Amino acid sequence: MASEEGDDGPLVGRTDTLAEIESDLRNVGPGGTAAVFVTGESGVGKSRLLRETARAMGDAGYSVLSGTCLDIGDASPLHPVLQALRQYQPDLQQWDQPTGADALLDRVSRDLRAVAGEKDLLLVLDDLQWADRSTRQLLLYLLAGLGGIRLSVLAAVRAEALHGAHPLRRVLAELRRLRSVRVVDLAPLDRDQTSELVSAIAGEGIEPEDADRVYKRSGGNPFVVEELARDLRDGRVELSDTLREIFLSRVDELPPAAHAVVHAVAAGVEPVEHTVLARVTGLAEAELIEAIRAAVAHRFVASSADGYRLRHRLVAEVLEAEVLEAEAASLHRRYAEAMEVSGAADHARLAHHWQRAGEPARALPSVVAAARSAEKLYGFTEAHRYWSLALDLTTDDAPERIELLAHAAESAHHCGEHQRALDRLAELSQRPDAPGECELHLRRARYLAAAGRSATAEVEYELALRSPDCTPQQRVSAAANLAELLLHLGRYADAYARATEALDQAAVNGSTRDLVRASAALGFSSAFREDPDAGLAVIRHAVEIAERSGHPDDLGVAYLHLAELLTGPLNSVEEGVLVARRGADRLAALGAGRTYQTRLLAIAGNGLFRVGQWAEADAVLEAAMRHRPSGADAVELLLARCRLWVGFGDVEAAQRDLDAVATLLAGGGARHVLPMLTLRAGLAMWQGRHAQARAAVQRGLTETRSDDLVLLGVLAWHGLRAEAEARAAGEAVDPGAIRRLKTVVDRMAQGVGNAATPVRAVVDGYLDLCNAELSRVEEKHDPDPWQRAATAWDRRKQPYPAAYARLRRAEAALTRKSRKAAAVLALREAYATATAMGARPFAAEIVSTAHRFRVALADDVDTQELGGPGAEDDGLAVLTQREREVLAAVAEGLTNREIGERLYISERTVGVHVGHIFDKLQVRTRVQASRVYLTAA
Amino acid sequence: MTESVWGPVKQEMSDLLQTYPDDVPAVVDQLTKLQDILGRVPPLLAENPLCDFNKLYLTITESVLERLYAGRFADPSFLSRLDVEFAARYFDALRAWAGPDASPRCPRVWAGLFQRIPGPDCRPLPAACAGVNAHINFDLPFALVTTFDHLGTDPIDDSIQHHDYLQINEIFAAAIPGLRRGYLDRWQVLIDTMNGRLDDWWQGEAIDYTRNVAWRNAQKLWGMRHDMTATDKERAHLDRIASDLGKLLLSPLGEFLQ
Repeated sequence: MASEEGDDGPLVGRTDTLAEIESDLRNVGPGGTAAVFVTGESGVGKSRLLRETARAMGDAGYSVLSGTCLDIGDASPLHPVLQALRQYQPDLQQWDQPTGADALLDRVSRDLRAVAGEKDLLLVLDDLQWADRSTRQLLLYLLAGLGGIRLSVLAAVRAEALHGAHPLRRVLAELRRLRSVRVVDLAPLDRDQTSELVSAIAGEGIEPEDADRVYKRSGGNPFVVEELARDLRDGRVELSDTLREIFLSRVDELPPAAHAVVHAVAAGVEPVEHTVLARVTGLAEAELIEAIRAAVAHRFVASSADGYRLRHRLVAEVLEAEVLEAEAASLHRRYAEAMEVSGAADHARLAHHWQRAGEPARALPSVVAAARSAEKLYGFTEAHRYWSLALDLTTDDAPERIELLAHAAESAHHCGEHQRALDRLAELSQRPDAPGECELHLRRARYLAAAGRSATAEVEYELALRSPDCTPQQRVSAAANLAELLLHLGRYADAYARATEALDQAAVNGSTRDLVRASAALGFSSAFREDPDAGLAVIRHAVEIAERSGHPDDLGVAYLHLAELLTGPLNSVEEGVLVARRGADRLAALGAGRTYQTRLLAIAGNGLFRVGQWAEADAVLEAAMRHRPSGADAVELLLARCRLWVGFGDVEAAQRDLDAVATLLAGGGARHVLPMLTLRAGLAMWQGRHAQARAAVQRGLTETRSDDLVLLGVLAWHGLRAEAEARAAGEAVDPGAIRRLKTVVDRMAQGVGNAATPVRAVVDGYLDLCNAELSRVEEKHDPDPWQRAATAWDRRKQPYPAAYARLRRAEAALTRKSRKAAAVLALREAYATATAMGARPFAAEIVSTAHRFRVALADDVDTQELGGPGAEDDGLAVLTQREREVLAAVAEGLTNREIGERLYISERTVGVHVGHIFDKLQVRTRVQASRVYLTAA
Repeated sequence: MTESVWGPVKQEMSDLLQTYPDDVPAVVDQLTKLQDILGRVPPLLAENPLCDFNKLYLTITESVLERLYAGRFADPSFLSRLDVEFAARYFDALRAWAGPDASPRCPRVWAGLFQRIPGPDCRPLPAACAGVNAHINFDLPFALVTTFDHLGTDPIDDSIQHHDYLQINEIFAAAIPGLRRGYLDRWQVLIDTMNGRLDDWWQGEAIDYTRNVAWRNAQKLWGMRHDMTATDKERAHLDRIASDLGKLLLSPLGEFLQ
């Protein structure tokens, strides 16, 4: 929207709003980002507010980047952000081809960082309702802090757009819950403000009834108020009530050349460059300049460095309705021709004009080019729309149609439009030049599986296998994919059979990819069918094959499967972690497979968490985050890291990561909601906020699928624990919540019988914890269920839940005053585990229990409360908890190896921590670091 | 706009609508509080038509929550999202309501019911049905599209989500006769015993039918969801149809239902 600087009326009634917006934008959250979304109807003054804020913040030393989303329906991906960047880097087109969506987002972030330099960055986006999906995702990525930029975003959204099913509606609903995001609803002016604005423009001598009439006509819409006030000032008697008539009468007053300019700009995609406008209007330079001057003087057109715009979209909408179809078509044709002459590379814009010009044949090449360039930017949604448009532009008998259909189907599949993908495929299969039967079945199966329609997908795979034209390669591929699908369905015997079938032929006919996939399916199905060794051998073999092929995808998949098998069903966590890290190193050495590296490190981090090596997990997850993942990978890493923060008791960092997860999930994704809620509950419990913890769990209960036994187990345990802690804190328990949680526990107990052995072991562990918490809720003070739980988790080699169970066991026994010696032993064991992991809130709880029962936790040391995290502000506040511990040891004069032994982390990790400490304290030697520590202590 | 349409409960209403529930328990909570506030809007107090609708909607949402807790849905995350999205549209309409001719952002179909809050009085059942009409015929298709879009799945017949969605019909069917009996006075008991079964059957069918239409409309909207102009047009169209139906329900004719 385009009322430009210079001739703005006075800003009335927005002073407070402006100040609030500015302060909200400055007030970045712990993630280093803040956002304000301004919503309101057209003409209510959103753009003006954006402009004023941008100016003020620019003056205050912010680096300001502005972009506007386009309403041409098919803008190119990331348009507004790239437009903003081009203000600084005109040669932005010459990007190296990024390898993957992660790399692209990373690249944009780097450019934004470069533009910002040392300054804070303000990104201003107007007309966000027209943003393409890629832009929305980029925005969430940046706001989640994944781009590593301190950034404030100010965006305007038309309120009308949020009514229906606009994707932003949901995004804003989710984001507005975050502390760093504000949604400002800009209301029209009230009666007094309207009068003030009228007087400011038309002078003081305005009759109250005139001002009143302006208010009634305009409904307080500042844009309309200003226009009506000007009429009043100029003594023009306005006969018409509608905006449309007001503007049309003014257009009529324009000189003919200016008239042409206004219509031409209205039909163009803003900003319209001068040279393009010259070609479109066909006016000679002097004449054109005079016409533009007139259009500007009559307040229709605004001029800026990059071209011309209409002063307001409302005007464009009025004009659009007035122009004859033929007139519009001819204008668009002239635009297209002008663009072709100047050799512009904006395929999207060219396609738009050719299409509006009613020249589908000439539009087609640009549409196809636009689709391809969208795919290069991983904008599959946009690409899909272009391919679909290309199909609309061609007839059934066009020879290129088969290729267009294939592209349309594939891009729909990539952007998650499953049904569209299937529809395109159906059309494709009807054609005489369609690919073979087997090929079609395979593709359909792939699309169906992606859509989660497993049963139909299975049928399609079987049809593919039975097709007479099925080649040996296709047979292997179909069987391998089918095995994978069956594995997901939990049909291990069937998966085993199919995987065996695939492997039998793969050695001769299969690609490495299919071989790896089939091996993985065989490995997992064997493990679930209680023959892990055979499965393990097969997957190890697959890794060897992948190593020989050396292809990053093969290597990535093979290592991923082996690491998952080891850390998951086989519970050989240590070895799984080693494999995952080796795989990540291997790919890093190849300089490829960034996504696989991230995922492998995530597996390693999760494994290390479970075996209690938290500092090491921290280091691994940090390394993974440096790959700057996006989408689901980023969510998983953030969740894993947040779990560490919750364990360490770093509330601020945990909150930051939870906010980041919530930001990313605002763009969609149901799978991660439950882990997020569980973490929220866990964090709230350590903070003693039982109401919050309980609310998170209850919400989780309404979103849990009954077959996700493990997730259900974690959630139910958290819920019962929250009730038990609430009771211990003297609050009332919620009988309704207890009843529902008991139902869940019963459901788990029933379901666990049918689960595969590895799943059963985990679920049993949670059932033990749940039952023990139930006895705590009922205040039975019974150590036995806790003892059972401790034993179960010891067997799983997971020290954290085991130590937790020990604490409760000791507590119950000490309350009962029975078996005190065993209780003290359990308490001490739990304490040793907690301190070794760095689990501060947990250790604090053990200490306070010890105090309560007057138990010494160690023979030679006084037990003392560990201070709350982040409580101190002693010059060491920049350090993480772990870094403080390392620094304390450095100050004692220990070597890295000695520190590693004390803290149960590798020597290398200690080195990493020491490096970070030096950076943060800005010192270069251990002696200097020790001095800082001793001064602070 | 000299005085708020909500009269003495203005402040409470605006405070309540500051909250945006994000799960089904919170929706139930919001509807419960709303029920209390609406019951104090003069002059009709608890007899006002929106109260009748809200009460029915609360009952239905409570049943949904119960089923969610009981694990009765195949895809609870879908149903939870849908329920929250669905309710958000009712709350949005309430936020946008500032009186007749002063609420450009309030859908017409809702405005038709809201403007009857001060009277003239109408029968509780048609009043509740007018709300159901607005909510199902207008809000539901959009809520469905948003939910599917957010979860990255398609609205496909016979999918597990579709079956979960159809379960809600049972809840409606169960809630509506209950609502009727709650409002019966003496002479209506007589009518009820005469043709009650027939009446209930008719009601059940109507809900079933309109909910099915909502599903079809959602599928239609799904196909055009990236096209803002087309979606806007469709929204205006649905609003018009639904508000005509709403007018009929709130007219003297609607009392036949009672």
